[in-house]
Amino acid sequence: MKHILKVIVMIIMIVPALLAAQEIKLSAEMWNRWTLENAKAPGDSSDVTSKNYFSLERGYVGLEAKFSETVKGRFTADLFSTDALADGAGLKLKYAYLDFANLLPIPDLTLTTGLQKVYFGTIYDWNYTYIGKAPSDEYKLANSADYGVSLNGFIPGGWGEYALGMYNGEGYKAFGTALKDNTEPAFLANLRLTPIPGLTVGGSVMTNSVERKTKLSDATLNAAYNEQLLLDGLVRLAYGPVDITAEYMSKNVQYANAPAKDYTATSLSMMPVLNLKAYTGSDIQILGRWDRWDETDNPSKVNLLTAVTAGINYNFMHDESANPAMQLQLNYTTKSYDEAESAAAYSNGLKDSSQLMLQLKWRFANTIK
Amino acid sequence: MKKTYIILALLTLAAILPIFGKGNQLTCSGSTTVLPIAQATAEAFMDLHPEVNISIRGGGSGVGIAALQNGTVQIANSSRRMKSKEIAAAKAKGINPTPYAVANDGIAMVLHKSNPVKNLTIAQIKSIYTGKIKNWKDLGGANLPIVVISRDVASGTFEVFNEKALAGAKVESSAQLLASNNAIVSTVGSTPGAIGYVGLGYVTADVKICTVNNVSPSETTVKNQSYPLSRQLYMYTNGKAKGDAARYLLFIQSAAGQAIVKKQGFISL
Repeated sequence: MKHILKVIVMIIMIVPALLAAQEIKLSAEMWNRWTLENAKAPGDSSDVTSKNYFSLERGYVGLEAKFSETVKGRFTADLFSTDALADGAGLKLKYAYLDFANLLPIPDLTLTTGLQKVYFGTIYDWNYTYIGKAPSDEYKLANSADYGVSLNGFIPGGWGEYALGMYNGEGYKAFGTALKDNTEPAFLANLRLTPIPGLTVGGSVMTNSVERKTKLSDATLNAAYNEQLLLDGLVRLAYGPVDITAEYMSKNVQYANAPAKDYTATSLSMMPVLNLKAYTGSDIQILGRWDRWDETDNPSKVNLLTAVTAGINYNFMHDESANPAMQLQLNYTTKSYDEAESAAAYSNGLKDSSQLMLQLKWRFANTIK
Repeated sequence: MKKTYIILALLTLAAILPIFGKGNQLTCSGSTTVLPIAQATAEAFMDLHPEVNISIRGGGSGVGIAALQNGTVQIANSSRRMKSKEIAAAKAKGINPTPYAVANDGIAMVLHKSNPVKNLTIAQIKSIYTGKIKNWKDLGGANLPIVVISRDVASGTFEVFNEKALAGAKVESSAQLLASNNAIVSTVGSTPGAIGYVGLGYVTADVKICTVNNVSPSETTVKNQSYPLSRQLYMYTNGKAKGDAARYLLFIQSAAGQAIVKKQGFISL
């Protein structure tokens, strides 16, 4: 009932704006997934099936309204399976922003305001060639969307892109009292260059803080207050059917009032994709991914994870621009923690695991006005 | 050592596989404005080179550019220059969009034949398309409501028109958005009070061209850019065109090819 009310409120808010739009595009993207996970519980010698289920992992429904050639709006809601709510389905607002182009006399520059993409690393243009998330999203280093304002654009001539942003810093799910007394915004800078076709190099910097230095209630020092510095560097090589991306990230967290909790998390990912279309005639991709994730360098808690994924995509029902309307994806991932590590608290009490995921993804976009 | 051989063998196989099964097939898609030029020149080229098969589709400049980015066509036809965003996306995928101008064109403002208005300024066109002027009597014409006809947004012609005539302003919401130049000519030709815009090659006797800022779209005014809605039409390839694509583009730019361009109603380079 609550969700129906939310939907009705959204419709009431959006419809008047849409009536003023010059063009409206309706789009949807659904991910139907089967997941089979085997894992080794501490003390067990053999793997046991820990998960085996079907789910709707994503149900994006989006509206894009073009008010003029320079002003566009985007609204995206996500309907998804969840065990966090009693009815098993969730609804969250993913994007709700306005783009203003040509506001400043700089070519190809857009000012974006609202709940929008976070231009950090690969998270903002991650196209889910893998079923898995972008590394920064997977390891919760940065949020994929957040409330804020950004200046983003493209370097004339197609030499690359850039973004400067100011956000809440706590992601699209956090708002109001969930913002943890955070009065400091997060700041972001992102630059990607393509000096020659097929070679992209880029980097992002983000500063953020969580909570207040002193408690609002009694002005005592707040041990939970921390300042964060996030860095990202990426290299992408694309030549013919081969596309390889390597991404390194680090997150340095400093607790001004509790220095013993300071830590740095690091991640390194390599992601090769081979497109077989030229050889098979069908739009098939084979892919791999290797992740090394060090959650913290703080000796009090160590988790060093290696995740390896192999997968295959079959893309079909293409539109006239050769973008697939449907994609069948199969991924097999193994996650293993370093034997030498002393970590005691693994997720769900489990240690090494393997995961098989089969996903049918379908999407459409139609201009309705 | 054995592994090295296997890797070398696989790489060699990957390199030579594309040689097989492709034949002399050339695929183009994109702009509906460039379509008649592409079709007519392709027919003439295939007559000269029967071993080459050229398939051509429309869809709009945006569609052709996206197809080039996705590596599914060798040539993207476009009635506008590619945007920085599109070039950046293509380059990141290892595609190097390289433009070849194939013709000059003027976007002609077309009216119903019965309309006595002979000239419109850019400011008046903008006022019409943004809904500020709604009756021809305000422009020295009859007391007749203006029926605004525009192209859909996948159209490169729309983007050039929007940039050059409207300076990015919003087209009024009651405007009819049509998917092709032919549809514009047909609708304007059958609707008293209608105004539309099309590439010169699509103008027929069913409609009337009006001058813009007192300049008519002619070979001279388009080539020297004194006609305010002048532009070039392009074919984009991935990097410098090679093989059959290079021969086809050279043919279009040759005297024989440009004669076909003229025959299609466009203006030569």
